[in-house]
Amino acid sequence: MGDCHFLEGNLRAKERVEYTKKLLNEIGLGEGRLEMFHIGASDAPLFAEAVEIMTNRAKELGPNPLKCGAEKAEAA
Amino acid sequence: MIVAKRKPFNEIKELISGSKKILILGCGTCVAVCLAGGEKEVAILASQLKMALGLVNEDVEIDELTIERQCDREFIEEISTKVNVDDYDLILSTACGAGVQLLSDVFDHKVVVPALNTTFIGVAEGPGMWTERCRSCSDCVLADTGGICPVTICAKGLVNGPCGGTRHGKCEIDPEKDCAWTLIYNRLKKLGRLNRMEQALPPKRYSVQQYPAKIVHEAYRRRYE
Ligand code: SF4
Ligand code: SF4
Repeated sequence: MGDCHFLEGNLRAKERVEYTKKLLNEIGLGEGRLEMFHIGASDAPLFAEAVEIMTNRAKELGPNPLKCGAEKAEAA
Repeated sequence: MIVAKRKPFNEIKELISGSKKILILGCGTCVAVCLAGGEKEVAILASQLKMALGLVNEDVEIDELTIERQCDREFIEEISTKVNVDDYDLILSTACGAGVQLLSDVFDHKVVVPALNTTFIGVAEGPGMWTERCRSCSDCVLADTGGICPVTICAKGLVNGPCGGTRHGKCEIDPEKDCAWTLIYNRLKKLGRLNRMEQALPPKRYSVQQYPAKIVHEAYRRRYE
């Protein structure tokens, strides 16, 4: 952490991701669909692990409720 | 500049409830600089509201517009060249309290509600941090206090300090806060003007502060008579 090509860039990004999670929680969508992982450019296994975590999470959370509403409206 | 903070999201949701079409109106000056009510914050708030209302299947149309300043009629007049205010049930303003009020005056047939809590007159200390510096007391003493405002920084607003509660440069009211008068002493020392502290300042003329205050420039008096 902090060991970023852009000096503090990843620490700043982390703060902003946390803030965005707060915004998502406020609207009732929940923060689960957004996550930040720290992965070195050459760390393929970690990348694969992160993809798996997010895929599983997306399955658990189900389709985006906002899009579902829009699709329902279109179908009606 | 004026520093403000966005109201809690649920409070904003409550303020707009029942409206079917709203305009979120941003201000591009002070509140844009303090990341509370400029174009970007208007966009974030609009997206949040659209999503939150979408989740509960509420059909509300939300438009966004940001003008240069909401505390100046000249800029408020521009609004009508861009949108038809009468199309909206409600205007949600992200300006400071002054901006919200002028907007309500100009569009006095419209409901205008504030999205921010206006907090102080201050300065930007660095990205994302602002501190209060002035209480607009109408009788500035900064010349005698080394450019540090005792009215604002001193918890007791003392113009002749420090009081007996100063402790190692901190304030007795809150040990986290600097004692304004220690700051003033150190600054005057640095400036070679410690003699300013040897004489008591006259009692503060609080009577010069009017509520609500009004200033008419001498060269413009005739038009307001
Ligand atoms: S309306 Fe308030 S925030 Fe906007 S420019 Fe005027 S003083 Fe600053
Ligand atoms: S003394 Fe302090 S509050 Fe009064 S005008 Fe000066 S800076 Fe503002």
